[in-house]
Amino acid sequence: MQRLLLLMTTTTYKAEAYLDAAQRLGVSTTVGTDRPQALAALDPQGNLDLPFDFPEVAVHRLCDFAARHPIDAVLAADDEGVVLAAHLARALGLAHNTVSAVETARNKLEMRRALQSAGLPIPRFACFPADADPGSLTSEIEFPCVVKPLTGSGSRGVIRADAPASFVAVFERVRAILAHSGRDAGILVEEYLPGVELALEGLLQDGRLRTLALFDKPDPLEGPFFEETIYVTPSRLSPELQAAIADSVQRAVVALGLRTGPLHAEVRVNDRGIFLLEAAPRSIGGLCSRALRFGRGGSSLEELLLLHALGRDTGGLEREAAASGVMMIPIPRAGILREAGGTEAARAVPSIEEVRITAARGQWLVPPPEGTRYLGFIFARAPTPDAVESALRQSHGRLRIDIDPDVTPPEASPRPVSTLERSAR
Amino acid sequence: MITITDAARKQLAEVLAAQEGSGHSLRLAIAGRGPQGFEYELTLLRADEKSNEDMEVESGALSVLVDAASADNLRGATLDYVQQAGGYGFKIDNPNPVWRDPIALKVQRVIDTEINPGVATHGGHVALLDVREGKAYIRLGGGCQGCGMVSVTLKQGIEKAITSAVPEIAEVLDTTDHGAGQNPFYQPAKSGQSPFD
Repeated sequence: MQRLLLLMTTTTYKAEAYLDAAQRLGVSTTVGTDRPQALAALDPQGNLDLPFDFPEVAVHRLCDFAARHPIDAVLAADDEGVVLAAHLARALGLAHNTVSAVETARNKLEMRRALQSAGLPIPRFACFPADADPGSLTSEIEFPCVVKPLTGSGSRGVIRADAPASFVAVFERVRAILAHSGRDAGILVEEYLPGVELALEGLLQDGRLRTLALFDKPDPLEGPFFEETIYVTPSRLSPELQAAIADSVQRAVVALGLRTGPLHAEVRVNDRGIFLLEAAPRSIGGLCSRALRFGRGGSSLEELLLLHALGRDTGGLEREAAASGVMMIPIPRAGILREAGGTEAARAVPSIEEVRITAARGQWLVPPPEGTRYLGFIFARAPTPDAVESALRQSHGRLRIDIDPDVTPPEASPRPVSTLERSAR
Repeated sequence: MITITDAARKQLAEVLAAQEGSGHSLRLAIAGRGPQGFEYELTLLRADEKSNEDMEVESGALSVLVDAASADNLRGATLDYVQQAGGYGFKIDNPNPVWRDPIALKVQRVIDTEINPGVATHGGHVALLDVREGKAYIRLGGGCQGCGMVSVTLKQGIEKAITSAVPEIAEVLDTTDHGAGQNPFYQPAKSGQSPFD
């Protein structure tokens, strides 16, 4: 039986999807995590504790493990693991993107430079040290602009500034986010691009891009924050424009040196052209992959990615004919989640397949740009993209989200029990 | 069916008398099984909430009902009311074994000896709720409830330990309401990246 090393941090949304996929495909899985797992001792082949930030140590540990339990493929579930996955795959001699290509794709400055060198349209950009005095930079900046950290995903720390005064505050806010995340890399300031935004989910095979899905993002992403909400596929753009987007992403992939595995790209389209914002060697974030099904059996995206990673055939697995979509339920304000009500009514909307609240009662919620987590996800499937979008909006409108904005420590509340229940125990 | 001690009768009479209206009943049911054995649910029902399927074990001013599905496992139990230095409350002494099914008993043993000591180090615990048709139904609590890595704990730990020790079990199913978790789903790790940590 083939064995997959699956890298996941303990904050992943994707553990269930990947482990289910591996089970369906009959693949043995070793989960490599950044923290020891509670029951690792019960399944020593199934768990491996790896320091994500120290690839040399992780490589040594993995090689020792692989000598006893050979590994056939390495896959990172999330952005946090992609660089380590490249290091580990190289050490084991497995097919994978090179470390330098992954590092380039993961760093927004390096990515911009690589795309610029290849002659691809990108927003004008500049990078500044995080400790720079923003007041002294305003003469160098064209407004409106977007300020963002060099690394990261989920629109965390991405903020628009329209004028010098607001730029200073925005820069300082991004700097604070960087400081809290323990990253001291620079801050990227780039031209704000009007236009529509799309996400392309793809699979790289020997450097060739296979588009698995092109998602419209119908909510305007104009700032000041860029919280992801609705994704709908297939795109309603013209076939010619969709083909041009895929071509643009393909050229970006070549420029970055990415050759294999999942690819998640974000593009902005306006009358000036197609601008690549991101091309990351990972799959779509959160639980969003649940919006995608492939082949007659309705295989998941994770199944497809595992098949590819293990060198198996994925040829017949095309996305289903129906339109589908997902809404990442926005967090309306910071505070303690008291109740996410109306889920039954939200599920009852025609074409809605699932409403999954992933935040827990009592959880402290942080909206963008500081936060990266979602309140939950709504999934829809219908004959047309318009019907999917409409169902997602209608379903979301039925949710009643009760958030207590009082600032209290982020600790969970116990589930209430009746006096009788409590006294009986 | 069950014995109600004088102390419990006195306390119940006070509780029932304090209710608005008349005709209230106390309903006793087994809600599940946990690390300490059976978990009980005591509920006060208005007259219009009574179900004909429940068994009436006491009638009149002190009406006590027993959930029919729980009756076998409550036969011979004693409902008491105790006041001790650590607190007070109803207490049920139940002579019945937590599991009669030998397969469930084997699964419970694996949970008690191999699984719960491990998950306890992360502040969690696992309870066996039922065993049916080769499937073990469990509930995770404490730190496990709502943890983003719960699938890993389930698939790479709990399921492997149970299925290898009890070949009659083919699958382990998690029935936990993770939305009510103590360790909120997908929350950044405790030394994680929230700027408000």
